Amino acid sequence: MNNLIIGQYFPGDSYLHRLDPRSKLISVFILVCIIFIANSWTTYGMLFLFTCISVMASKLPLRFIYRGLKPIFFILLFTFIVNVLSMDGGKPLIDYGVIHITSGGLVFAIFITLRIMIIVMITTLLTLTTPPISFADGIEVLFSPLKKIKVPVHEFALMMSISLRFIPTLMEETDKIMKAQAARGSDLSTGPLRQRIKAIVPLLVPLFVSSFKRADDLAMAMESRGYRGDVGRTRLRELKWSSCDSIVLVLVTFLVMALILMRIWGI
Amino acid sequence: MKNTSLKKMIFIALLSTIGYLIMTIAFPLPLLPVFLTLDFSDIPALIGTVLFGPGSGIVIEAIKNLIHYIINGTPTVVPVGELANFVTGSILIVVFNLIFKKSRTTRSLTMGMLFGTILMTIIMTIANYYVIFPSYALFLGLSIDSAVAIAHSANHTIHNLFTLVILGVAPFNIIKGIILTIIMIPLYIRLKSYLKTYAIK
Repeated sequence: MNNLIIGQYFPGDSYLHRLDPRSKLISVFILVCIIFIANSWTTYGMLFLFTCISVMASKLPLRFIYRGLKPIFFILLFTFIVNVLSMDGGKPLIDYGVIHITSGGLVFAIFITLRIMIIVMITTLLTLTTPPISFADGIEVLFSPLKKIKVPVHEFALMMSISLRFIPTLMEETDKIMKAQAARGSDLSTGPLRQRIKAIVPLLVPLFVSSFKRADDLAMAMESRGYRGDVGRTRLRELKWSSCDSIVLVLVTFLVMALILMRIWGI
Repeated sequence: MKNTSLKKMIFIALLSTIGYLIMTIAFPLPLLPVFLTLDFSDIPALIGTVLFGPGSGIVIEAIKNLIHYIINGTPTVVPVGELANFVTGSILIVVFNLIFKKSRTTRSLTMGMLFGTILMTIIMTIANYYVIFPSYALFLGLSIDSAVAIAHSANHTIHNLFTLVILGVAPFNIIKGIILTIIMIPLYIRLKSYLKTYAIK
């Protein structure tokens, strides 16, 4: 709770930071989908190269990417081992008792591990270079065609932005309440499960009450400033589509076409 | 009319924030596989249901999970865990509301929570067997056996997907429901007067 930086966003001024959240969201979505097309060394190599170039373009310290990969390290290792042991095909490499490794299985395991790694690296890169609020703005614009079929996209996005905006505030609040209750002798980290569950209620009650008050105040403030919903609303942060964004989308399109052609030709 | 909907929206937003914050401090239970983490992040959604009805509760569940997806990301492409959490929470909310709305007393709240837990357990057990585990297997390239193997290290009676679902997922949902009930009852009693002040009908 000491760390008040929400999420993983790392402020910076790189090529990737300056991109419009819309183009980033579209590219990441496309990239994550086309990873399933890749099935050979060249295609996986190309995707991996593309990911590495993006990482370099973000000018982020590499340890941040590593931090994104760390929680899934166990899953990666596990996937790799399970796939190596269970997949068949190709030449047998080691055949010793229950351990039965074939070249086909090894290659397949490497591919699957690479696939997960690339997906996680790309999505980590997205969250590292995009502030959550502009993320929500980007989603609102991308989903705005749904307004035609009466989906309340704007309302949803507004709730998302408010919710994101209040994460640090409520975190601080929770921290304060926890300290206040600890000073009164409540203990959350030790003791049997039942006592710990009971100790949660005195934390939640003030948290809810203070958020109700905050919400009520915010509603009144927004009303008195004349908030009247989606139509005719002006924004503090305007999303700007620059030529860089178009270039990125063109690059991604080329990558997709290359991957599809390679798959057809079987390279 | 316009004003009440704005107020409602902001309440929903802040309740979702609380839900997200609770979600980030999820912890695994002893004797159950590690990937089933216990979080009582359905509490704000239930409070939202008491305040504005089941629709709001479900929206809170949705926003909470979306934020979790945006900020924390997921190793699978499609947020399977978040979707599962959303569905579980929504079932609980709908059942809870059906029973609670009749008399709005502590008794009906308890009954609502208990029936919600039972239905949630049944549906999620089936969903886990047919949908959730297979989709994890698909997206992670893992076989279901490996999930069973992780579960086996926590509880040795688990040896295939069926026993995993019956001995791992079903008790997990029951325990989760019981803990939610234990928290909800005193919380509701203490928040009652506030809930009456802010409720919009």
